[in-house]
Formats: sequence, structure tokens, C-alpha cells
Amino acid sequence: MTPLPDSASCRCLLADGSFATVTATRRPRAGRADVKCSGVPGLAGAMQQVVRLARHTEAHADSRDQVVLGIDIDPGTRDWEFAAVLADRMVRGLYRAIEPACANGWSDHWQLGRIDGHTIGASAATMLGGPDGIAHLGALTGQPDVASVVSSARAWFPLHSGGINDSLGWVEVSVFPLSAVDAGDDAIAVPGLDVTRQLAVRQALLGSRDFDRCAPGRWRTTVRFAQPRFQGNSYELALVMADRLARGREYVVRGRMIATGTSSAWHAGQVETVEGMAPKCALIAREATSGDRILLPQAWQGLLPAGFLDQVRASGATVACVGQVGMF
Amino acid sequence: MLTTLFQRRQRAPVALGGMVIAARMAGVVPPACIGVAVDAGGRTRRFAEGVRMVVAASENAWCFHPGPYNLVLTPYLAAPEMGLQLSVVVDSPDPLADQQRFDLYLASEGEQAVELTQFRQALDAAVQRELQQGGLALPPCTQVEEWQLFRAGLNELLYMRFGVTVDDCIPVDLAGQVDYAALLSQRAVADVPAAVVTAAPAPAIVPVPPGADAPALRRLFLELPPVTARLRMLDVDAFTRHRALLQRFDLASLAVLTMPALALAAPGQPLGAGQQQRRTRHALRAVAALDEAWALLARAGRVAQDEVLDEFERIAANLEDALAARRAIPLEDA
Repeated sequence: MTPLPDSASCRCLLADGSFATVTATRRPRAGRADVKCSGVPGLAGAMQQVVRLARHTEAHADSRDQVVLGIDIDPGTRDWEFAAVLADRMVRGLYRAIEPACANGWSDHWQLGRIDGHTIGASAATMLGGPDGIAHLGALTGQPDVASVVSSARAWFPLHSGGINDSLGWVEVSVFPLSAVDAGDDAIAVPGLDVTRQLAVRQALLGSRDFDRCAPGRWRTTVRFAQPRFQGNSYELALVMADRLARGREYVVRGRMIATGTSSAWHAGQVETVEGMAPKCALIAREATSGDRILLPQAWQGLLPAGFLDQVRASGATVACVGQVGMF
Repeated sequence: MLTTLFQRRQRAPVALGGMVIAARMAGVVPPACIGVAVDAGGRTRRFAEGVRMVVAASENAWCFHPGPYNLVLTPYLAAPEMGLQLSVVVDSPDPLADQQRFDLYLASEGEQAVELTQFRQALDAAVQRELQQGGLALPPCTQVEEWQLFRAGLNELLYMRFGVTVDDCIPVDLAGQVDYAALLSQRAVADVPAAVVTAAPAPAIVPVPPGADAPALRRLFLELPPVTARLRMLDVDAFTRHRALLQRFDLASLAVLTMPALALAAPGQPLGAGQQQRRTRHALRAVAALDEAWALLARAGRVAQDEVLDEFERIAANLEDALAARRAIPLEDA
């Protein structure tokens, strides 16, 4: 287990292009309030309320620490709320940001974990709250929202680009139930990808749905990728797992689902090997955090780099080398 | 005529062993059932089948059928098509324990009867919470060793928390009975319209079920002493930490014993409805900490000692915090 940080900060990109920074520090509770906010009185009260409401969605309560939150400027709007919630989670080790975190979002339903919207346009390095970005706090680790009509799940896969630019990319599958009236062919939309790759995504999904005997015409599906430009087909296992999670056909992960693998026979549920084991394992071992589930092809079973399993287990994640999707 | 009347008196008013696990009843213990007398302090004693239960006026008489009962759990809310088919029994009594855990369950959580559906929901909630917290693990693409670990953990959790023994547990696909797509469509009807950004956040109220305060305090009153007793039995090297924990749990029991009534701010001075909801919410938080303590006791043998003590310290802190908040009345709107 990595030790908890004493302080964490999350920036918020504002509509005029400037940044507001929310800083959270942790100290022993000693009989004080669980959340303390400093700064402008009205803003501090609102921030305390937002953070307390967002804590209702956490499974693991710990009242031994006090978290002190502060924001450097008064943004005048409400889009700092998401950044405050993230800073509060980061300082308690419940969320680990990959790069210096930047977020923009507001909500009237923090107690349900729902994020209602954001106030700026698209921005590459900023996490946007709302239906077109992160609609639910569970989506930070890819879990579907159990109160929403759209079930969407994310899975991560290693993107190997030769060294320091290696990163985890995500694929998100959202499914919406089709009523009996407009049932037809399975509608699978993959915006932003070229035609051949769209076809590959569609075939993988249809094949794996065939495998678990999902009746056709049941779901309208949207697939989104973190970045649409990449090579190879090692994303397919992550795609199939995200689809199974979204359709409620798979046990839910506590953290993130990280998978790499491909198949020429998804209709049989088989998982086949992919290239680049050493750099991918190094990347996964670096990125894995508590509760993550890592799925690798069966062929890697005996060949994994020395120390990989120990390192991953020490960080609280679990690993399985699978030859077939589903149990055992 | 006389015989039919007599037979009607003899027959149990509810059939135990089917949809009802236990019910309050007086008289003779029905065949294949076990009688339990529960007094106001939660102390219990058992009667064998066919024995006429002689109980004091302050005692409640229960009868339960040991089973087996078949039930289907849904370990994850987000995956309603993936179920676990369980067969559970209330096993023969543990001769070393001074009180059987199932008797304590009847004493603290039984109202008039324990129905199978209600019991299934309680089991479901316990398993779901433990999976969310990471005490049990049932990840996607479960491997054989992981399944065996989960089974062992599930057995221990259900025995420690409810006093039932898991005979059999198999994963089942509920695709034929549960339609996830239909469940999602039902949510569409209840879905709120798209939100519009306003200047100030709307005041949110987290709802609490009405009338949940008294059962919560009853559970804390009856179950904190047995939890403390089991904590005392733990084999721990760190003597000082262990002793400090035991003192904190004892003080929590004392705080429950002296807890002010829900509807009174002071003697003769009523408390507002909003404040009553706040008190109920904190009582439920304390019960959540109690449930975590049972779950932790169940897995204490499989986890490193330092981690067990750390978790107990967290639970004790949550318990103290919730009980203090249940007692307090904030100044601004007392």
C-alpha cells in the first residue's frame, strides 16, 4: 500500500481561461468537524456542503481525519465543485490522478454521485463533468451508475508507443435499452473512428454478445475511445469487458478494469495473445492502484516479468491470465 | 368437535421452514423446530422440539425452523443478471458459545417474524457492502482460487453476521428471470429532466426511512457487548492498542445506554422534525459501523494483525463520531 499524501490539489479551468486551484490537506481530526473550508464565507459554506454530500456515495467511511479545503480565487461560478470533490478524494487516497488533475463540473445531485454539467468547452487535459464527459463519480473508475437509464462502463488498456509516452487509454461502452417497438438490428455507433476500425469494433461486440447468447435488438450501443488514433487490436479484450460490464453480464470491479488481449473468435469467448508484453506489464505495474482488476492473455501466464505479480499485488490490484472470458 | 378445536390449538399459526424462517409464538415448539425465549436484555435460551415453552412475562418466545433454505443473492447492484444460488441452514448449536449468533439475530433484528424474502435482502445487503469495501472479492473473470477464497469468506461472513451456515453456493445466470434492459427502461420513467445551472446549489436532503431510529438503537444496545466480547477474544500481540480499543467499544456501549430519546431536545421540550431526521441518520451511520465490525470479525483470521487493529480503530472512530452526533443538538436550529 502506498502511503497517503498529506496534501493534494486539483485545478479548475474557468471559462475565461484562467485556473482556480483547490488544495486539500489532511490532519488528525481531534474532535473537529470532518470537513473544514477556508476562504470567502459563502463559498466556504457551499464547498463544505458539496464535499459532505459527495461523501455519501463512498463505501468506506473514515472519521479519523479532518480535511481542510481552500480555493485560491473566487471563481464566481459553480464549476469548481467537481475539483473540490476530486481534491477531497485525492487527499484521502480514494482517487489517484495520473497527471496534475484539472476538472470542471457542477451538480445539484452530489449525494447521488451524479454530475450535472460543466461550463467550458471541450479541453484535452480537463476532466469535464456532465452527460458528455464524466456523468457519475463512479465513472472515474469505470463503474456504471446504478440510477441512470444509460448503463455505461469503462475499461482501460495499455497503449504502447515506445517508452515515455506509454499510457493507459480507456474505452467506454454505453448501452441504452431498445423498446420492443423500435427493435431492429443492434445499433452500434462508434463516433470518431475510421471505417475499418468501426467494423472491427462492431464485429468484436456482436461476436462476444453471441457468446453470452444476448438476444439481438436489445441494446443501442455507443462506443467512445479516450483517443481515436492508435494502432493494433489489443484493445479488443478491454472493449468486450466494458461491454459485458455495461450490460450487467460481469461482476463489477472495485477499481478499474485494465485488460489487454485480442481474439479471432469472440463468438467462442476465446482470448488470444498480443505483442509487447514487457513494456505493457511495466506500464500496468506502474499504474495499478488498489482494487484494480488486470486481465492478461493466458499465453502470458508463465512468461510474466519477474516481480510483476508481487508489485501489482502489493498495490492492491488483482491479476488473472484468462483464456476465455467469463468465470473460470 | 372438541378434537378439531384441540388440533387447531396444537397447530402452529404459521408454517415455518418454507417462506417464513422464524416467528413469534407461544405454546409447544412445533416438530423439527427450535424454540428461543428472548428477554428484554437480549439474553436467550433454547427449547427443543415438542417442549412446551414456559416463559416469563418479560420474555418473547420465538420458534424457528433450521432449514435448509434456498435463496438467490445478487452480489452487485449493477449486474442483476449475475446471481449466487445459496442453500443455508441454521446449524446445530456451538457448545462453546454462551449465546448462539442466530438467537442474537432474532433478539436484535426480529420484529414479529423473519420472512425468507426479508432475510434474503439482509444477506444481500451484507454481501454487497463487503464486496464494495473489499473484504470479499468477486472480480470479473473469476479464477478457481479466487472463487474458493470468496466462498471461504462468504461462509465466515454469514456465520458471524447472521449465524447461518452456507451448505452450497453456486453462481447462476439469471438471464431468464431478470431482464436488465427492462430494468433500465423502468428507470427512464423515474429519471429527472436535464438540469440547468443555477447561481447557488440547491439544498439537498438525503432522505432517511421514518421509524428507523428505534431499531437501530436496539441493535446497537444488544450487539455492541457481544462484538466487544469477540474483539476481546482476538489473539493480538499489541496489548496497549487492543486494550484502548476495548475501552472505546465499552464507552460506545455506555453511550448507547444513555442515548437521549429521539423526539426530545430536553425533558419536556420537543425536537423538530428536521433534527429528528438528522438523529436518525446518525443512528444509521452507527449501525453501519456495527455491521462493518461484524464483517471484520469474520475475516480477522485471514488478515494481517496490524490491518485488523487499524480497521477496528477506524470503526471505533466512526462509531464514536456517529453516536456523539446522534446525541448532540447543533446550536443554529436546536
